[in-house]
Amino acid sequence: MSIVQNFPFFSIILAMFSGIVSSVLSGKKARNLSIAMILAVFVLSLSTLAFCWGTGESYTYWMGHFPAPWGNEIRAGILEGVTASLFSLVMVLSVIGGMGHTEQDVEASKQNLFYIMVDLMLSSLLALIYTNDLFTAYVFVEINTIAGCGMIMIRQKGRSLSSAIRYMILSQLGSGLFLIGLSLLYGVTGHLLMSPAKEAVTAIEAAGAYQIPMLMIVAVISVGLAIKSGLYPFHYWIPDTYGYATPTASAILSGLVSKGYIFLLIKIFYRVLGQEHVIASQIVNVLFVFGLAGMVMGSVHAILQRDLRRMIAYSSVAQIGYIYMGIGLGTQAGMVAAVFHVFTHSITKALLFISAVGLYEASGDRKDYHSLRGSGYRARLAGIGFSVGALSMVGFPMLSGFISKLLFASSALQTPGKRLPTLIALAVSTVLNAVYFLRMVITIYSIPGKRTVKTGQTGADAADGTERQNAASDSGSTAGSRVRSTWNLRLAVLCLILLNLALGMFSQPVVRALEAGLEMFA
Amino acid sequence: MTDTGTLIRLMLPVAVPIAAGIVFLTGKRLRTDRKASAAALLAALGLELALVLGACASGGAAVLWQLTDTLVLALRVDGVGRLFSLLTASVWLLVGLYSVSYMAHDQRSSQFFGWYLIVEGVLIGLDFSGNLVTMYVFYELMTLTSLPLVLHERTHEAVMAGLKYLFYSVAGAFLALFGIFFLAGTAGDLTFVPGGMSALESTLGSTLGSGAEGGLMRAAVFCMLIGFGAKAGMFPLHGWLPTAHPAAPSPASAVLSGVITKSGVLAVIRVIYFVVGPEMIRGTWVQQAWICLTLLTVFLGSMMAYKEPVLKKRLAYSTVSQVSYILFGLSLLEPTAFVGALSHIVFHSLIKNVLFLSAGAVILITGWKRVEEMRGLGSIMPAMLGCYTLVSLGLVGIPPFSGFVSKWYLASGALASGTGVWEAAGPAVLLVSALLTAGYLLPLAIQGFLPGAGSVREYQAADPDEGELAEAGQSWQCREPSAWMLVPAGIMTAATLAFGLFPGPLVRFLTEIAQAVL
Repeated sequence: MSIVQNFPFFSIILAMFSGIVSSVLSGKKARNLSIAMILAVFVLSLSTLAFCWGTGESYTYWMGHFPAPWGNEIRAGILEGVTASLFSLVMVLSVIGGMGHTEQDVEASKQNLFYIMVDLMLSSLLALIYTNDLFTAYVFVEINTIAGCGMIMIRQKGRSLSSAIRYMILSQLGSGLFLIGLSLLYGVTGHLLMSPAKEAVTAIEAAGAYQIPMLMIVAVISVGLAIKSGLYPFHYWIPDTYGYATPTASAILSGLVSKGYIFLLIKIFYRVLGQEHVIASQIVNVLFVFGLAGMVMGSVHAILQRDLRRMIAYSSVAQIGYIYMGIGLGTQAGMVAAVFHVFTHSITKALLFISAVGLYEASGDRKDYHSLRGSGYRARLAGIGFSVGALSMVGFPMLSGFISKLLFASSALQTPGKRLPTLIALAVSTVLNAVYFLRMVITIYSIPGKRTVKTGQTGADAADGTERQNAASDSGSTAGSRVRSTWNLRLAVLCLILLNLALGMFSQPVVRALEAGLEMFA
Repeated sequence: MTDTGTLIRLMLPVAVPIAAGIVFLTGKRLRTDRKASAAALLAALGLELALVLGACASGGAAVLWQLTDTLVLALRVDGVGRLFSLLTASVWLLVGLYSVSYMAHDQRSSQFFGWYLIVEGVLIGLDFSGNLVTMYVFYELMTLTSLPLVLHERTHEAVMAGLKYLFYSVAGAFLALFGIFFLAGTAGDLTFVPGGMSALESTLGSTLGSGAEGGLMRAAVFCMLIGFGAKAGMFPLHGWLPTAHPAAPSPASAVLSGVITKSGVLAVIRVIYFVVGPEMIRGTWVQQAWICLTLLTVFLGSMMAYKEPVLKKRLAYSTVSQVSYILFGLSLLEPTAFVGALSHIVFHSLIKNVLFLSAGAVILITGWKRVEEMRGLGSIMPAMLGCYTLVSLGLVGIPPFSGFVSKWYLASGALASGTGVWEAAGPAVLLVSALLTAGYLLPLAIQGFLPGAGSVREYQAADPDEGELAEAGQSWQCREPSAWMLVPAGIMTAATLAFGLFPGPLVRFLTEIAQAVL
């Protein structure tokens, strides 16, 4: 056995261990440890990926070399490797990009607690990716939820507390349903390890027994994980959560956490329930319909927002809808498109949240559209980052969002019954995306003040207007006062832009890796 | 597969203006030093014309980027590409000359010049695109990079106009995108082939576009027509044009109306004549609906222009109407009408540029924007108004001006097209619209030169109140715009006349293209 095969296990343990150590460290040290650890995990995941790519097959690994049921099994393949590398990369960039704000938002004495949550979050995400055992998956789903709540709540201000409670309640509902599904499955099959469970499920299917319980299992697991990942209409915890948490938390929660559950769902579909069985149960069609609804309704809600971060949050609802639509197509190509969109969305959403930080830092920490006028001139790189993210979400060629849409559309074309609804929903949702994202891009590049004068706003708003004008008139007519964003923000934005471009321009290797990885799943 | 020499020859005309534009946007010196910035602008535009000429002369094809396994970004020079790119580069140079003088008092002229150059590079890329996906990339880039031209004034009005422009264009582009996805899924390779897939079909003997699949395909083609038609101002997505064009500074309005609307036309040509093939839609509901929409737009545009009092808006409505002349010619799927349409692209582009340039000169010198204020304009700027009058006659279609040639081909093509009722209805609508064109363009010329004695009091009241004349404290003197502005307008007017007198070479060139695709 090669040493590399230990790496998935090492990375999970490393993340947990850093969390434990961080509890006795100061905030700054905890942060540095966290960044170093995530980078190490990134390297480990990359080597796992390289190893699996080299051998061309996946492998299972017994923790501590005890066979089940005493030991605990994890499994690594190409898809796991790609996902783990990408998640850790996005996570480290989110942490780096938002760390200035984390210092402001979180009390000094609690800084290290925040990074404990980040570490635990990473370890639970990695466990969800690598696990080959349903019960382990459940345990880490719970850890994930707790870490998520902590990350939201640690900014102890008004709405973040209520949104954390809402997040907790809905997440618990989701976990509860998931647990019920697992229990039923255990009752029917007698297994919690994925591979034997699948054998049992196949046997049951062949015998035609337990039809209603099997349907219930598929339904309850799907709905439970759908709630946790924020599929429309279970989305209403999303805007508050993402909109009021500290930026790092928003980026991680929307970019990675919801994707972790989706990954788990795909894994269960393929590795436990059997994709054919899931398709036969019609549950995919339900996911498909909710996905389509989410694509359109999420965008409609986003258009109605007046606050930048809530807008980005609602756009997540729409993007999650895309992913479920891809899963709901029920084909291999649709699944590849969905997983590719998982990557696209996590990179792009992190980019949007992090560059939004730069934009509103340059606008006196105000997040409504009026205050953000001209912020693209004040914080150049953040403006560019936001524009790139927005264009990618809209589906501009050469960026990753375009490839996602292309994959969705071409997989839809191969799925006769669902072709037209998919294409129409894609078209409508794309245009709606364009409406709110491009409006925002124009807003950040338009000159503040002029409109305030023209439309003559009232009261408090007008007072803000003059304040902004003063700020803008300090340095000439065009640019407003330039705010030099901190190095960490610029580094993160730059890396995320490059990642987005890379995924858009060199998409083929990734797509091939996804195809190979999904093959290994089956 | 691709030799580097061709790649560089084709890339340079795209990359050089974009690079130059970025220098304009970021360079500090160009922002303050007016002479340097003017010289740099003209040098870049001249160089670009030379590069385009070089690329057109050498021709060739090159692969730019392998986007996915099936989708390739590729550049290729063909007849249509030559026509559009030469037109774009020459008009851009002439309007560039004009804008040096027009933008002389603008604080942010270097911003304007920067975007102006970038748009040129993108447009050349659009003209040289070798397949549908490449064209789509440049098409989207064109929308985004031309947006700052509309937004340049940065007034509330300009921002709103910019938003409207953006939303219509993006909605249109994505409507088209799903057509592209559909075609890519069905037909795979989207490389431009003269005559389109029908040509392939006849050689391969396959059955593309028959049955229910064909019905869906035609629906996708129709989506693309509507979507790309947005840029060309075709009903029902024409609403942005009369708002956005007048909001931009006059040189930008000129190229937006004169050249950028034509890129919508180019996209339609590429889709119909180079991808799906005219045979796919001949005689189907798609063709009927398309003809119907273009004629409706021709008529509605003229009517709206006739009723519009603000000169630049009137010209914008006129663009709506005139570009649909071109689309009408294309929708007939007939060689003569196709030649008429392509020649109208050239002629309308030159004419509309002169019209907008003179409207800009009027605004710059007198501050007048509405047509009724412009009585007696001929005594202030006779030469500019002279140009205006001559090209107006050309647009109406009076021989020996070029508009006559294109309309002749359009009408005779329509009569020979075998499209049933449209054979007669088409030319009738064109005639009515020509009459309306005379009705909305010529009053300015007539009242400008012959204000009439009875109306003296009226036009005294309308003394120039802003613009250069008022600033100089003068009124009612002969005050032509500077030679920078007059000469480009004069050259384009002369070209309009020359093409009308000697249409032979152009028509021969266009006939060759028509024979290849039909």
